[in-house]
Amino acid sequence: MMHVVPVPTSLDDKSLDALAQGLGSWPPPERLLVDGHGTTWASPYGLASLLTLGQAIKELGRPKPQFNAPASDDARSYWARTGFFRHAVEYYDVVGKIPRRAGDATDVLLPLTPIRAAEDIHHVVGKVQESATRILTSELKLEAKATMGFAMALSEACQNVVEHAGTGGWVAVQTYFWKRRLGRKVVVIAVGDAGIGFRKSLDATEARKVGERWSDGAALESALLHGVSRFPDPGRGQGLAGIKRYLARWHGKISIRSGTARLSVGAEWDDDVPLAEHLPFFPGTQLQITIPAQEPSGR
Amino acid sequence: MRERIDLGPILREAVPTPYCHLVTRPTGATVRGRVEERIDQSPHPTTQLDFSQIGLIDFSCADEVVAKLLLRPPGERPRFVVLVNVSDSHLDAIEQVLETHQLTVMAVPAERATPCILGWRTPDLVTAFEAVNKLGAGDTGRLADLVGWTIERAADALQSLALRGLIQAASGTFRPLPTA
Repeated sequence: MMHVVPVPTSLDDKSLDALAQGLGSWPPPERLLVDGHGTTWASPYGLASLLTLGQAIKELGRPKPQFNAPASDDARSYWARTGFFRHAVEYYDVVGKIPRRAGDATDVLLPLTPIRAAEDIHHVVGKVQESATRILTSELKLEAKATMGFAMALSEACQNVVEHAGTGGWVAVQTYFWKRRLGRKVVVIAVGDAGIGFRKSLDATEARKVGERWSDGAALESALLHGVSRFPDPGRGQGLAGIKRYLARWHGKISIRSGTARLSVGAEWDDDVPLAEHLPFFPGTQLQITIPAQEPSGR
Repeated sequence: MRERIDLGPILREAVPTPYCHLVTRPTGATVRGRVEERIDQSPHPTTQLDFSQIGLIDFSCADEVVAKLLLRPPGERPRFVVLVNVSDSHLDAIEQVLETHQLTVMAVPAERATPCILGWRTPDLVTAFEAVNKLGAGDTGRLADLVGWTIERAADALQSLALRGLIQAASGTFRPLPTA
């Protein structure tokens, strides 16, 4: 018997909840069939989440799930350009036609890239800093100085995986036109890991202090709003604080989903609820940083 | 006299990467370890950390390299740290981590020859620091005369600068740290 998990038609930070709902209980008692046949679009966040789902199942020692690739040629082609299929075959039995040659895409500033150790972050930051500066300044209208801050935010987001997850993760960086939600181009950093999540990471130091309210949401608040870290070193927790400060300056948004909660610190254009709790469980942690193209009047 | 430590070669020794960015906490800890070794071996009280070959520095690395270096317990003899060739892109991360720890360091930005204070500071600290770097060596009275303060206020500011390792001070006299 296989348990079918439908992938939403459009998979992003919001619709991931529907994918999580489809998982049912965790860990899954049966082999999964993750069905992306009807999916026509996925954000880097969505694709990183699919990889972390496969990774989490593998690390639990459960049977390799089946993954039905999208029927849409456009979706398959785009997913191939992001490097999704190249990594997915490690975690899924992929069924469906996969483009052999991925081709290049100028909107993909960094394809899905594994993060396992600090050295990987050097590679990611160096590559993005080298290739993205022109796009960030010409298309996103960010000042040259802001592109350095962007690379710093990317580095800190990736370090969260290495330092706290207890396992590896994925990062991707992409620009795209956010027609419906913003009417402007955005650059997005998506980071996902199949690790222990914020609650477990902070359990030992924070659970007793917070008491009965301790939950995935409270753990996210501790880390993102109060700069709490599981390490006693007073210099810890500055990475997320630095990201928030950078985003406040450039009208950006950070959203982190861990376990059953999602916390967002957003800009004026964002209509997301700050804290969503009691969501269907999804393994690991998913982080998204969104920076919109700068408008002359918005500065 | 001063010791000058170029962070570029130290970074390349620490991490096998073609890039020149000071990122990640483990990298910062390794780089700081090597910087500390050089400082401990140096006969000079002042060490200049040269950022000219560094592309960007993130918050975690700034905390490891700069903040933790300043937080080292004092040894048998006074040690001073000056950051040189610091660019605008380095400033954000360094300022943030220093403010978090309420630390202060002297820096010479890449675009200017004039030294400045990074991190935690008060208006009096900045005024006294700028005056000392303009005056050169002197005593409390000279500083008080230059900025129009009482002797007590000038003495307080000088003591604060000395405690934060921003000037060399002894027996009521002071001298700025070397920048060249």
